[in-house]
Amino acid sequence: MQEESVPYGGWIALLALVSLVSVIGMFWGELTNHRLWTGGFIGVVLIAYSFILLLLRKGGLTGV
Amino acid sequence: MSDVKPSPDRRPRIVGFLCDWAVSSEGLVREDGTMRDLPSVTLIKVPCSGFIRPSWLEYALKNGADGAFVCGCPLGDCFNRLGNNLIADRVVQMRRRLERQKIQPDRVGTIFYGLHEQAEFVAAVREFSDRVAKLPAPPPPAPARKAPAAPATPAATGAPSPGGPSRPGPTEGGAGETPSGAPPGQGGS
Amino acid sequence: MYKRLLDRLLRWTLSLDVWINRIYPADFNPLYYTGGLSNLFLTVLVLSGIFLFLYYVPSFNDAYTSVQYITGAVPFGLNGVPYGQIIRGIHRYAADGFIIAILLHFFRNWFTERFRFSRDEPWISGMMLLVFAGFIGVNGYMLVWDQRAQLLVAMTGNTLAAIPIVGGALRSALFGGTGTTNLLLPRMLFLHVGPATALYVMLWWHYVRVRHPKVWPPAVWTLFSLGAVFLLSALIPAASQPLASTGAAPDRLAVDWFFLLPYVALKYVTPAWLVVLAVVIVVYGLYIPYQLPETPAAMGIRDSGIAQVVDANCTGCELCYFDCPYNAIVMVPSPHPGVTRAAQARKELAIVLESRCVECGICIGACPFEALELPGYLEEDIQGKVLDACRT
Repeated sequence: MQEESVPYGGWIALLALVSLVSVIGMFWGELTNHRLWTGGFIGVVLIAYSFILLLLRKGGLTGV
Repeated sequence: MSDVKPSPDRRPRIVGFLCDWAVSSEGLVREDGTMRDLPSVTLIKVPCSGFIRPSWLEYALKNGADGAFVCGCPLGDCFNRLGNNLIADRVVQMRRRLERQKIQPDRVGTIFYGLHEQAEFVAAVREFSDRVAKLPAPPPPAPARKAPAAPATPAATGAPSPGGPSRPGPTEGGAGETPSGAPPGQGGS
Repeated sequence: MYKRLLDRLLRWTLSLDVWINRIYPADFNPLYYTGGLSNLFLTVLVLSGIFLFLYYVPSFNDAYTSVQYITGAVPFGLNGVPYGQIIRGIHRYAADGFIIAILLHFFRNWFTERFRFSRDEPWISGMMLLVFAGFIGVNGYMLVWDQRAQLLVAMTGNTLAAIPIVGGALRSALFGGTGTTNLLLPRMLFLHVGPATALYVMLWWHYVRVRHPKVWPPAVWTLFSLGAVFLLSALIPAASQPLASTGAAPDRLAVDWFFLLPYVALKYVTPAWLVVLAVVIVVYGLYIPYQLPETPAAMGIRDSGIAQVVDANCTGCELCYFDCPYNAIVMVPSPHPGVTRAAQARKELAIVLESRCVECGICIGACPFEALELPGYLEEDIQGKVLDACRT
């Protein structure tokens, strides 16, 4: 509903979903002792956040 | 300002300061500094956008220009590291000062373009020029109060004379060796 | 001819910016923050390095095993240090990122000529930083004491020994004796951690002529770089090669192209030539700021002249002092009062240090009292030009 009015809104939502899945993955990795997975998911969350910030800025929602 | 002729093609007269390291002016300007595509815009080259004193922008406005801008390197890439950020901050402050003097702040501005961005630069200058053209003409400057004069000439009643008794003139320039204390009128910034 | 080449490189570098600025807003362009990116990776290296240092044992028998313990490799499995594998991977990939960022910083500042006039000091300190970073990276690979480390030690020794007269002594000094002795790994550990600390001293030197250095990249790039390092260390776990053999060193190794490029070169040139090449490259690098003609006339811009303080007007307000990007202005106690009313009350006077002034004029823009002038662009010149522009 919001997506037409917010530029890149769809992409931001997708990245937020990816981050959520990754956080769940982090917990899962911890619980099953697959620590490499935890580290990988941390990486995915950070990269997704960086793109969310970039898209927020390009969409005019944050920044100068 | 009232005794300067308006520019021939009714486009606003713009003075632009362009720094040596920003967009290249090769091919854009004629011998006398006016832009080929926008003849009412004159470009003055300076060593760095941070070199510009905001008072010079005001000086341009008070001497017949309808608008003044500064063009520096893209933000973050100033050749001298901080110049473009500093001029951006100073012009923001200058705009507020002009607003307090009842001059539209949109008459001054900053733009930032790099070496290769000539087309974008020309487009931005044209947009600035259009924006200035739409602004209503500024009100005539109010006359300063007459100093109490010994000869018994009565002060002008009613409307001020066109020249104005002491119209705000150009800022006191030169090397500033004069021991006259603070500059007169709206001098300094 | 060099000048033409540099011009072309400059244009190419800046046209790269145009592409990047289409995706990233200008104040997120990573090429404007290459120094900050380098510092970010250095911080990650130091933090992960401290972690690794707490578990690493610098002895022939235990070095390899301690690294296996950290990463939870085969004999240790889940008994290894928690997250050790991730942090070791972070250390390795942040090191690669560090070298990439430093090289981007080096090439960008070279091609955009940001070493002119008195900006040579950050350049020289930067060359030193580059050499030290490379050295630290190489002996990091030696610390693991796997087969690659063994080969690296042998190749380094041969290269040093190829230096005439002092070569043998240098090799003994570096390795603690001829051949590999028990002193080797503790010495390598010291030469890894010590210079890493010394990097901060050299960074102080690198920043000393620069006001408000951009030491961190924008948040978008901090997040991205950290994320990339984590993700890489999960996707391609950093692993050691097989344990160093007690016999002769092996003759091939898996190459980390960022740090081990000089060693790859040893396949094609003799050690003596490698030394010559390295010396030529470093000496040329130190010479770069002095190679081009310094005069503005030769550069095609008007000579501004060193900024001049107009003693009569200076009020000691310090605005120029805070704005000069090169720390070229200092405030001194005023030896005599100024001439204008505001200047008569001053406590301090601004002084321009000529050796640091790059003639940019930013101080002129900062001064509200007309107490600074550039000889090539006096206030009256500018006002004259503005009046001319208003009359056309």
